[in-house]
Amino acid sequence: MQNNQNDVYEVFVQKSHAEQHQHVGSLIAPSPDMAVQMARENFLRRDHAVNLWVVPQSQVTSSTYGGRFFAREMDRGYREVKGYTENGRLWRMFREKVMTLEEIVAFVEEKERGETEGGER
Amino acid sequence: MTEEKQYASFMERIRAGEKIEATDWMPIEYRKLLIKLIHMHAVSEIMGAYPEKEWVPRAPSLRRKLAIMAKVQDEMGHGQLLLRVVEDLSAPLGRTREELVSDIYHGKVKFHNVFHMEARTWADAGVIGWLVDGAAIINQASLLETSYGPYARVLKRICAEESFHMQHGENIILALAMGTDAQRQSLQTALDYWWESLLFFFGPQEVTPAAKQMMHYQIRLKTNEELRQKFLDKYVPRIQSLGLTIPDLSLRYDDSQKKWRYQAPDWHKFSQIVTQNKGPKSEERMLLRKKAHEDQQWVREAMRNHNISISSAL
Repeated sequence: MQNNQNDVYEVFVQKSHAEQHQHVGSLIAPSPDMAVQMARENFLRRDHAVNLWVVPQSQVTSSTYGGRFFAREMDRGYREVKGYTENGRLWRMFREKVMTLEEIVAFVEEKERGETEGGER
Repeated sequence: MTEEKQYASFMERIRAGEKIEATDWMPIEYRKLLIKLIHMHAVSEIMGAYPEKEWVPRAPSLRRKLAIMAKVQDEMGHGQLLLRVVEDLSAPLGRTREELVSDIYHGKVKFHNVFHMEARTWADAGVIGWLVDGAAIINQASLLETSYGPYARVLKRICAEESFHMQHGENIILALAMGTDAQRQSLQTALDYWWESLLFFFGPQEVTPAAKQMMHYQIRLKTNEELRQKFLDKYVPRIQSLGLTIPDLSLRYDDSQKKWRYQAPDWHKFSQIVTQNKGPKSEERMLLRKKAHEDQQWVREAMRNHNISISSAL
């Protein structure tokens, strides 16, 4: 089959090893290899990245916009941190402070910022 | 490049703090250690949903029911994310998702001791949410800097979701701690039941040969004992502030050594639980897992073999 049309590729950039690939846009290219080259030229003239994916647009299965698929029938505070803000007040009644995940991560990785979050012992 | 040179340049990357990706060359030992660790982590997430799911029908209010159900969903979701990482690592060894899952009820993969234990009361469910999750969070936070990129990225997402788990667990505990005498007593009974399990959770004090290799490859960066100490640092003052008594009279902070001194858990008893699946709930939960997996076999087959469209649901 003669190929005289460029395919559309969706482009995903991984900015660092700590991050997942993120969709940044699309481009047209005559082949997957060329799409990778062009993705670098189109999307990474300034930003640093460690990896690129290009995916033929025809291979993308998508949901629709709107409709019931993303509907939120009720408040989801019960599964979010912001649903538990009273913890801070309750801990103070026991002369303790609320703990955050960021604090734990910094503590475990020994990257604490001064005494701002401690207070124990 | 010879294997020797590949190994040398791999180790150079590890020492430079670079992340290894699924498509990179890696020593077979590195691959196997990762599989062992992440498979156990994945399976612990899945089996970790069981003690809490037992409390979904019995949660004391609608909000508590929704919240604990949300947690169960998160744990299963974390299991799925982690199994994907193990699957990619296991593919060159010819192992598939099917085996990674059935390994659970064939007793071929271990899961954390705490998930072999019984959640007898709502206070137990609360202690699981607060302290068992707290211990798991310390452990997972320490792995965020692992040398294996795909694991590090999945852990980042898991930890973000754990911040809800932390608040959820604390909220249950705080409500009980401020409740009636009977509620406070049930909280104390729960702490007494879980304390030894919590200390065991971090593993033996000595650095085993496998743990040593994991640190050599920077798969993990902290020893079991360092993590247990960090758990005690963060949680002992909070447990005590609630007026609870930790069931270890010898527990104290040794200022000169900058370390917690504690009564070691019964290593033998708990390692039997983990390696022989001899905990109070091991058998029952593994059977449930087997039933869930095998009873749904026809659904997975039907989905694969018939082109089922769900677009009407979108």
